[in-house]
Amino acid sequence: MTSTTALPDDIKSPGSVADPRRTSWPVLVVFLVPALAIYVGLTAYPAFRTIYDSFFTIEGLDATFVGLDNYRALMSDETFWVAVRNTFVWSFIAPILDVSTGLLLALALYAGVPFARFLRVAWFTPVLLSYVVVAILWMWIYNYDWGILNELLRVVGLGALAQSWLGDPNLALGALIVTHAWKWAGFNMVVCLAAIHSLPREVLEAADLDNCGWGAKLRHVIVPMLRPTLLNLYILAFIGKMKIFDLVWIMTGGGPLWATETVSTYVYKRAFNWNTFDLGYPSAIATVWFGVVCAAVIILNRVLASKDRLEY
Amino acid sequence: MALFSMLGARDPGATPLPRLFARGGLALVIGAYTIYTLGPFLWLASMSVRTTGEISLDHYAWPSPFHWEQFRIAWVDSNFATYFWNSTLVVVGAVAVVTLVGAAAAHALARYRFKGNRLIYAVLFSSIIFPPQITLISLYQILVDYNLYNSLLGLTLVYISLQLPLTVYLLEGFFARIPQDLFDAAKMDGYGDIEIFRRIVLPIGMPAIATTLILNFIQLWNEFLFAVVLITDPDKRTLPIGIRAFMGDHFQDIGMIAAGVMISVVPVILAYIFFSEKLIRGMTAGAVK
Amino acid sequence: MSVVILDKLCKRYGTSQYAVDHVDLHIRDGEFMVLLGPSGCGKSTTLRMVAGLETISAGTLSIDGRVVNNVAAKDRDIAMVFQSYALYPHMSVGENLAFGLRRRKVNAAEIERRVKEAADILGLGALLARKPSALSGGQRQRVALGRAMVREPMVFLFDEPLSNLDAALRVNTRNELIKQHHRLGSTMIYVTHDQVEAMTMGTRICVMNGGKVAQIGAPLEVYWEPADTFVARFLGSPPMNLFTAPLRGGPDGFLLDEGPFHAPLIRWSAAALAPYADRKITFGVRAEDLHLDPAAAGEGLRGRIRGKAFAIEPLGAETLVVLETPLGECTARLPRNVTVRPGDEVDLAFAASAAYLFDVETGRAIPGERTAQGALAAARGLQ
Repeated sequence: MTSTTALPDDIKSPGSVADPRRTSWPVLVVFLVPALAIYVGLTAYPAFRTIYDSFFTIEGLDATFVGLDNYRALMSDETFWVAVRNTFVWSFIAPILDVSTGLLLALALYAGVPFARFLRVAWFTPVLLSYVVVAILWMWIYNYDWGILNELLRVVGLGALAQSWLGDPNLALGALIVTHAWKWAGFNMVVCLAAIHSLPREVLEAADLDNCGWGAKLRHVIVPMLRPTLLNLYILAFIGKMKIFDLVWIMTGGGPLWATETVSTYVYKRAFNWNTFDLGYPSAIATVWFGVVCAAVIILNRVLASKDRLEY
Repeated sequence: MALFSMLGARDPGATPLPRLFARGGLALVIGAYTIYTLGPFLWLASMSVRTTGEISLDHYAWPSPFHWEQFRIAWVDSNFATYFWNSTLVVVGAVAVVTLVGAAAAHALARYRFKGNRLIYAVLFSSIIFPPQITLISLYQILVDYNLYNSLLGLTLVYISLQLPLTVYLLEGFFARIPQDLFDAAKMDGYGDIEIFRRIVLPIGMPAIATTLILNFIQLWNEFLFAVVLITDPDKRTLPIGIRAFMGDHFQDIGMIAAGVMISVVPVILAYIFFSEKLIRGMTAGAVK
Repeated sequence: MSVVILDKLCKRYGTSQYAVDHVDLHIRDGEFMVLLGPSGCGKSTTLRMVAGLETISAGTLSIDGRVVNNVAAKDRDIAMVFQSYALYPHMSVGENLAFGLRRRKVNAAEIERRVKEAADILGLGALLARKPSALSGGQRQRVALGRAMVREPMVFLFDEPLSNLDAALRVNTRNELIKQHHRLGSTMIYVTHDQVEAMTMGTRICVMNGGKVAQIGAPLEVYWEPADTFVARFLGSPPMNLFTAPLRGGPDGFLLDEGPFHAPLIRWSAAALAPYADRKITFGVRAEDLHLDPAAAGEGLRGRIRGKAFAIEPLGAETLVVLETPLGECTARLPRNVTVRPGDEVDLAFAASAAYLFDVETGRAIPGERTAQGALAAARGLQ
């Protein structure tokens, strides 16, 4: 080929006419600035302000710089440590209940029971109810005099076991965890079911050819292959529980005797419920907890998830 | 192998299961669990159409007669109408804004290459793990500063910020899967950037947008913590805090509480009945690895 | 006149290597130009620069005498058919067809006329109200083509439009496209990695490799007169056999003679080969030019190669035999009735005029007298 027009080798052309994957700054500004403005104004700025406030004592409009005093006080605040303990118990143990219930339910549906579609919808329903509704329902279920739990115990002649479920410091946290699992098991079920259905059928058929019974297939093939999903669900549930507030606040208010106090309820109490009128101290708690949650998420992701990403 | 039946033959994904297990224990467990999830809800529904007097005689009796006027009393005399409309106003407003703003950002992040794209995405998304307290206390102060405390507008703004990360996350994932060829074709047909968003992305992304709409709607309809902190005026309460306040004042009035709770649940159940598949998909998006 | 001229066209991302490296291409009016090459060779990027979907880093692009480097895609009077068809999923077939015209403010009667015409030609009349999701792959393909046709553009661009179709449909659609090209007589630029598509559809083929043009020519010319070893192996199935051996002088001129391999070189003058004397050189011969029966290799001087057969691939109409020779593997396309079995020593003959030579270092063909077929093809390509 001979070139018909002699032109210098490198003519730079402006980049605006072509390449649909690029665009001009004004266009990006139009698309992104509303979201960024909302993020900066209502998420980033408040978060930084909370961290900043944690070095002050704030009563009304008066802010007094106190350095690390809030954090020092926090270290020796017994209620805080009880709240931390409760929250950790909840965060580490409750997800196991949620996820395993969800997995079992998903396997039941996968096994091909009749009315699977109806059951899936029915089991998912509690996920949609607000914590306020769930809390009220379960306060009634746990009611000492006429709650269904005690009524059932009395009907089968175990009336002696009837308890004030939310009034007993030894039982209250467990009762709340059960309630929470009631709400969330359906969510875990649906996710597990989707994951099971996305497993490659060839692998399951290969397991059949390897003479795996249902139980062996479950233990050696299905559950190991679902590991990434299960770990992911565990982390999701863990994060959710580190933030738990509504259910506790409405059902027990953190009582009896701090038995169900969580970090979230404690922050709320110190900030808005007790008449201490200091927003600096609860800001310190929130800051510490923010760090703990972020660190926990990062660590869990690293430790659990990264080496378990299966290729299939 | 003879034990294997084809119980699930209708479902292409189903596999054989030992017959005995399927017939006996499994059915029992499944039945029990269904009662466990739906039972409390049906119990609540039954109490909502009975008077408190009837309920205290027997908490588990079938309603007779059905006292539908319970709902009228709750709606008119117990202020649930106010709470309902407040909730509607705040939630519909917040969902509309967050979907539009989130979709615009998601489109830009999914489609265009520019410096800082992934950084902006990570920043927006990471706030999904923030414990709410980290913003709660300051938001209270900020809204007080700007005279938005105790106002539905203030609560709406906060709700927009709460749902933004999830909205961007879900829509970005979907928009990124729209084939680039379509945008190239639109470009050759002379579409500008804004037009591409309005005329191509929004119509094609409708299924995903509908999913985020419903998801955001339900999550905000049920929101409690920020509402209880940012709203104190009884006339401005949303349903969750309204029910909670009503329960605090009328602890014994079980029938009326149940009616109020039913009023708050009905929109969610309706959304669920019409969009259950979309909703489940939205709630589980990203959880399957 | 819709002449498209690419003059030293370049594309590079940032300061990395050239994705498209000084491509010169002169596409004549009404020509069906195929850009052929393996994935990543820059053919799609070149097409997208012509379309206005990629910025041009350097060089000039002109359409119909007008430099269009800085003209927006929509103003270049070009229509494109995409690999994934890129039909707007929320619009019906009719709306998809009419859409580009509406955007260009063509009046309603004219739009209706053109849509109807395109629908008639492509057999889409009954589908106009359907959504793309309700169409088969072949139908979607036709809608995509129709959408380009109604525009009546100066130039049609195709980006691997057949690669999403199954084999049978691909042949049909290929013929359909050839028919439409004859009917419209428009300039078309077609990108593909499929040599069969390139050979059957192209007026000329531009073979690309590593961002550069390897060769431009009529399909058979490129096949019979490959410009370098890349083109020689890329076109043809099985690919051309290549061996490396030292070039020796003999009483009758230069020849290659290495163990069981002997090739007299009659297409080249002594002057052309003198620089390579006693140096290694790459020798090529096509699988279909190898014969078991020396007589089948023609009357003139013959070359021969011997090796041990290790793979026999009966394809029905013919049989591929792969030999292990001291110089490397060698594939021969033999008649279907051959009785060679794995392990057999096989003697193959070829006409000396069917030989190719390439420079070992650059891979460029060493030009000699044209092969008979090559000369014929070149003559045809010029018409």
